[in-house]
Amino acid sequence: MNYFVGIDIGSTAIKISVADENKNLVGHKISASGSMFYKYAQEALSDLLRELGIDEKEVVYTVATGYGRKLFKEADENISEITANAIGAQQAAKEHGNIKTIINIGGQDSKAISLDAEGNVVNFAMNDRCAAGTGKFLDVVAMNLEIGVDELSDYHFKSKGTPLSISSTCAVFAESEIIGLLGNNHSVEDIVSGVHYSIAKRIVKLVKRVGVKENVYFDGGPALNDGLVNAIENELGHKIFVPDYPQITTSYGAAVLACDAFNSESVN
Amino acid sequence: MHTEHTIESPHERQNRHKAMEAIHVINALKEDFKSPIKSMEYFYTLFERVYCNHEPLHEGKSKIGTMCIQIPSEIIYALDGVPIRLCNGFYTDDEIGGDLMPQKSCPLVKATVGLFASDNFSDKPDITFSPTTCDQKTKAGAIIESFGHTIIDVGFPRTKESEASRAYWRESVKGFAVELSKFQGKKLTRTNLENSIKKVGYAQSLYHKLTEFRKHQAVPILGVDMFLVTNAFFFDKIDDWIRAVENLVAELEQRSSEGVHVAGKASPRIVYTGSPPIFPNYKIPLIIEQSDAIIVADETCSSNRMFNDMVAVDEWNLYDMIDSISDKYLKACTCPIFTQNDDRIRRIIQLVRSYSGDGVIYQAFAGCQVYEMEQRSVLAAMEREGIPILYIESDYSPSQQGQLTTRVEAFVESLKNRKRMKK
Repeated sequence: MNYFVGIDIGSTAIKISVADENKNLVGHKISASGSMFYKYAQEALSDLLRELGIDEKEVVYTVATGYGRKLFKEADENISEITANAIGAQQAAKEHGNIKTIINIGGQDSKAISLDAEGNVVNFAMNDRCAAGTGKFLDVVAMNLEIGVDELSDYHFKSKGTPLSISSTCAVFAESEIIGLLGNNHSVEDIVSGVHYSIAKRIVKLVKRVGVKENVYFDGGPALNDGLVNAIENELGHKIFVPDYPQITTSYGAAVLACDAFNSESVN
Repeated sequence: MHTEHTIESPHERQNRHKAMEAIHVINALKEDFKSPIKSMEYFYTLFERVYCNHEPLHEGKSKIGTMCIQIPSEIIYALDGVPIRLCNGFYTDDEIGGDLMPQKSCPLVKATVGLFASDNFSDKPDITFSPTTCDQKTKAGAIIESFGHTIIDVGFPRTKESEASRAYWRESVKGFAVELSKFQGKKLTRTNLENSIKKVGYAQSLYHKLTEFRKHQAVPILGVDMFLVTNAFFFDKIDDWIRAVENLVAELEQRSSEGVHVAGKASPRIVYTGSPPIFPNYKIPLIIEQSDAIIVADETCSSNRMFNDMVAVDEWNLYDMIDSISDKYLKACTCPIFTQNDDRIRRIIQLVRSYSGDGVIYQAFAGCQVYEMEQRSVLAAMEREGIPILYIESDYSPSQQGQLTTRVEAFVESLKNRKRMKK
């Protein structure tokens, strides 16, 4: 049996997806990027293949994507995470209608991608320069509040007061704002919902730059945070679709691309 | 995994955005400064009730919207109406109005138009009177009307020296009184007008008492708190406002006798002028007072200009009273819409002198042409007088906080140096 691997080397995590000949996802793995991207990526891949009982020879095509894609020399091809994200989102949501807009929040960037009816990327926008309002930012917030990142959602939904907005979504400045709010005995719940709304407003502005068309798909690690999902929905004014494994959409897209590339090569 | 959420309606979203803007400023006022004033709690709570909880204050009352300070509240109160001044300081509404007005419009006008466009009021005006002051306000009336609101223009002259202007405005005010009297189904009488002139006059006298404390070397109240107090007059129940300010006056008397000073020993004393800071757009005043300066006086239509001059009545008969009211709103007004506006310059200089101001900060909203244009003559006059002045253009957006802070801080430091050199 032939298998196809998509490997997405991001700033925070390495995401690997394996697809079969029908482009179905057969397995995935997420591990920290750490200090040695290349080594960790290789290890993670062989671990995943072992877990799935797939022989390395069965992997006929590999596509790398993400910031670190050029570091993974074994890949047959590498492709930008924007294209991979678009393909992955469509494949992952194929039973839920056509995806026209993608919101992706990663470890250190955020993107909005607009697709046409055929799923081609027509426009995209990215945050510039810094980690404002990204996954890293949520890490810093959770650390300051002395709670886990996975607890942010619960705190969000428990907020009873007015969400306390953070005027800066810069990870460095926000830290001192949050400490100030805590110092004045404001509830952690209202701070958390304020942080989520601050990020949501920022990302929705980005999305509006490319145009909001339904259906909207949200992926990247922060999409695991249901409170943030709801904040974005409120800012947009409608529902967004979050896949079961929001972190691996891009690597899955790379695996799907690997399958396509292999098939077209064999035909030629 | 992913659960179904309820999603806010556009009005709910707008309300949440405004609540977030409001609480941010209220918390800053409550928490960022030393020696808080107990009687300010009334105002903090009032703004929280209205702008975070969206609580209506005047249910069952006839609410009369006003688009500028020139619509005489004395006449509205005399006819049993509640004046609601609709000059708006919310960035949320500014963004909504921005889609309906030219790009480079005044944020205050955009915010007012945005509020009408969204039709999301906690106290919705039953009718609104719009004096034809600046171009943008004048033209905004028609946009607002197109959303199905009732707006009545009140002709306002743009020169104030001529006798013809005075006569024209007096006619406008009479026309306004007739229109409102019809709308309210109530007659304007000598007694009810005299009573309301006296009530508004009493409110003004309380404001004057508050400002007196700010002349002292030890200033017992922050400028941002003062802006909040005068801003509450836009929409609060007048009797509640009077009671709250009476308490505030009493507390400030006490603080003053104890020598309580809300700023630092070396904090420069600032006279604030220009486009009006209207809640929650206290961006520049907050930056000033967070930068170790203190606002001791202002020349703005959201505060001083609203209270400074009293109605001076010769004879307490109806027509005399109406004429006196008209004169107060025209002759004493220092709005930059007028062709000649030396009064404003004189007022600023007088404020600097009587409040021992160290410098002036002049803010113009980007897009507020008349304030932008008048900065030239004001800056020249201050230079002649040897009064340091900083001119800042800004809007309602929360960005640029850093750059604005740097500019204000540098100005404050230069004033401190100047003070030190003088000694």
